Amino acid sequence: MSVMTKTIAEETGGQIYQPLLCKIGSKRVLTPLETLFRIELPEGRELGHRPGQFVQVSILGYGEAPISISSSPTRKGYFELGVRNAGTLTGAMHELKEGDKIGIRGPFGTFFDAEKLAGKDLVLIAGGCGLAPMRSLIQYCEDRPSEFGKLTILYGAKTPGDRLYKEDLVEWGNSNTFACNYAVDGVPDGACFDEGQVGLITVLIPPLSLDVQNTVAVIVGPPVMYKFVIAELKKKGLTEEQIVVSLERYMKCGVGKCGHCAIEHLYCCIDGPVFWLNEISGIRGAI
Amino acid sequence: MKRATTQELKTFFESLGTDYDLRAPVKLHDGTRVLGGLDEGPLALEGGKIPQKPTSVFFPQFDEVFMVSKDGQFHAAEPVKKPIFVVGFTAQDLDCLEFIDKFFSENYRDDIYFNKRDGAVLVGVSGKCGKDGEFLKIAGGKCDIELISDGECFIVHPHTDKGKALVESLKASECGCGGVKMETLKEESDALPKDDEETIDKASELIRAGKVPDDFWNEIATRCIACTSCNLACPTCTCFEVYDREQDGKMVRQRIWDSCQLDGFMREASGHNPAGLQMQRTHRRIHHKLAADVERWGHRTCMLCGRCDDVCPTDIGIKSVCKEIVERYS
Repeated sequence: MSVMTKTIAEETGGQIYQPLLCKIGSKRVLTPLETLFRIELPEGRELGHRPGQFVQVSILGYGEAPISISSSPTRKGYFELGVRNAGTLTGAMHELKEGDKIGIRGPFGTFFDAEKLAGKDLVLIAGGCGLAPMRSLIQYCEDRPSEFGKLTILYGAKTPGDRLYKEDLVEWGNSNTFACNYAVDGVPDGACFDEGQVGLITVLIPPLSLDVQNTVAVIVGPPVMYKFVIAELKKKGLTEEQIVVSLERYMKCGVGKCGHCAIEHLYCCIDGPVFWLNEISGIRGAI
Repeated sequence: MKRATTQELKTFFESLGTDYDLRAPVKLHDGTRVLGGLDEGPLALEGGKIPQKPTSVFFPQFDEVFMVSKDGQFHAAEPVKKPIFVVGFTAQDLDCLEFIDKFFSENYRDDIYFNKRDGAVLVGVSGKCGKDGEFLKIAGGKCDIELISDGECFIVHPHTDKGKALVESLKASECGCGGVKMETLKEESDALPKDDEETIDKASELIRAGKVPDDFWNEIATRCIACTSCNLACPTCTCFEVYDREQDGKMVRQRIWDSCQLDGFMREASGHNPAGLQMQRTHRRIHHKLAADVERWGHRTCMLCGRCDDVCPTDIGIKSVCKEIVERYS
C-alpha cells in the first residue's frame, strides 16, 4: 500500500483531498509540447517520494491530474514534473510562471523498489513520455551506482524532436554509469539523428548482452509498447518475475476511491502504478 | 421490546429532530417514496426498499470536497451540524452500507464520507412492510435499531447501546407476547426463498472460472443504452468525478457520481482508453461486483437489492444478467 507523505498529510490535517500549495521554482521547455517544472515545498521540506510515484497536481478552477515525478529523491530541496500539454489541467499548468503556486497531493502509488533491485543489472526501457517517471529511477541509479550492477538505458521516441530530456540523454550517454541505446520511429525530412537507431524501441533489445539470471528490466511507456517489449525480453530469457512495469491510467483521486483506474480488482493508484509483471499477468486489460 | 404504531414512531422521530438530522421514508405529493424530512410528506415505512440508493445519505450525488476563499485559504467541507438519523434501510441496504463503510475507510480514510457517517444512527426496516405485502428479510444487526413489522405495528428491536438509549424515549406499549411474535417473524424471514442468492453466486463462480465468453458480454452490451441508471441506483457504486466551480467569488471543488458505463470514464488525456468498447464497460459493471471485488474484498459487492433491475430500461440489471449466465453456461 502507498502512503501519502507525512509532510503533506500533516499539513492538510488528514484531509486526503486537500492539496498543499507549492511554488514553481523553475520551468524548462523540453519540447514544444513538454515542459519540466521544478516544484518547491514550503519551508524547503522534502516531498518524501520514491522513484516511480506520482502526485496529484491541482490548479483551482481547472481541476486536478496525476503527474509522474521525474526527479530522484536523492536530489534535495525540490522535485520535478515533466508535463505534456495534453489536457485542461496540463494546458493551464503550462501557462503558469516561475514563482506561481500549484496544489500538490501525494506522493502516491507504488514505486521502483531500490531494495529489491539492489545488486541487479538493470535494463531501463522507456518510450515517449515514459521517460518522465523513468528519469526518477535513472537519477537514483546515477546518484547511487554502487547499489546496482550493470545499468542500461533504452529509450525510444517518435522522432528526434519528440525526445524528452535531451540534455540528460547526452549526459547519461557520456557517463560511465550507463550504457545507453536510443531509437526513434522515424526521422522527418530535414532532421537528423546520429545518436542511435531508426526503428521501434524493440530493435534495441535483441543486441543486448545480458546476464539473464541477474537482470531486471523496467518498462515505462505508452500502453501499446508493453506487449512487444515484453515479448522481446522473454526471448532474451527474462521471466515475468524479472520484469517491472509502470502502468498509465486515468487517476482522479489517487487514493483508491474514485474508481477510474481500476484494473479488475486492482486500483492502479494505490496497488500500482508500478507492478512486477507476474503480479498482473492474467489480469484482463492490464497490459 | 416495544411495539409501536407508525404514528408513535413518527412522534418518536419528531422528538429527535432537535438533536439529529432526520431522514426517513416519506411519500412525496407525486407518490414517490424518498428518504427525506418529515415535513416533506407523510411517513411511509411500508412499501419496501426506497427506489433511490439509500447510501446517498452519506455519499450524495454532489458533495463539496473543499472550498477556497477569496484570500486563497483552503477550507475543508463544513462538518455536519447534527448527526444523521436515517430510517428505512432494508437488510440488503445495510449489507451495502457495511461494504461502503469498509471501502471508504481502507487505505486512505475518506474524510468527506465519514464527515456524514460518523455519529449517524441507522434504523432498519424489515418484516411485513415490503411492497405489496412482501416480507422483508430481518437484518438482525448492522443497524442501531430495527423496526420489524408484524403486519399491524413495528416491533422495535435495538441492536446497539446507542439504539437502546434512544428507544427508551419512544412512547409505545411493550410487545407483551414474550417473544413469540419475534420468533414467528424470524422463522418467516429464514424461510424466504434464496433463489436470487443461489443464482448470483453461481454466476459469480462461472465468471471467475472464465466460463462466460466475450460473445456473451457483446450481446449484453448491444442491449445497453448507456443511460447509467444502474450505477446511479446502486448502493455499492462509489465512483466519482471531481470538478471545480466558482460560487459567490469562491472556488469550490466538488465531487459528483460517475458511471463506468460512459465512454470517457477511463479515457486518459493521451486518448488511451482501456474501456473504449461498450462490451468492456458492460463486462466491467458485472465483473467488478461479482469477480473483482470477490478477489479484493473476499465477497461479492452486489447485495441483491434489485435496484438496477428495477431501473434498467432494457432489462439487463445484474439479476437478469446473472440469470442468463446461469441458464447458458452452467
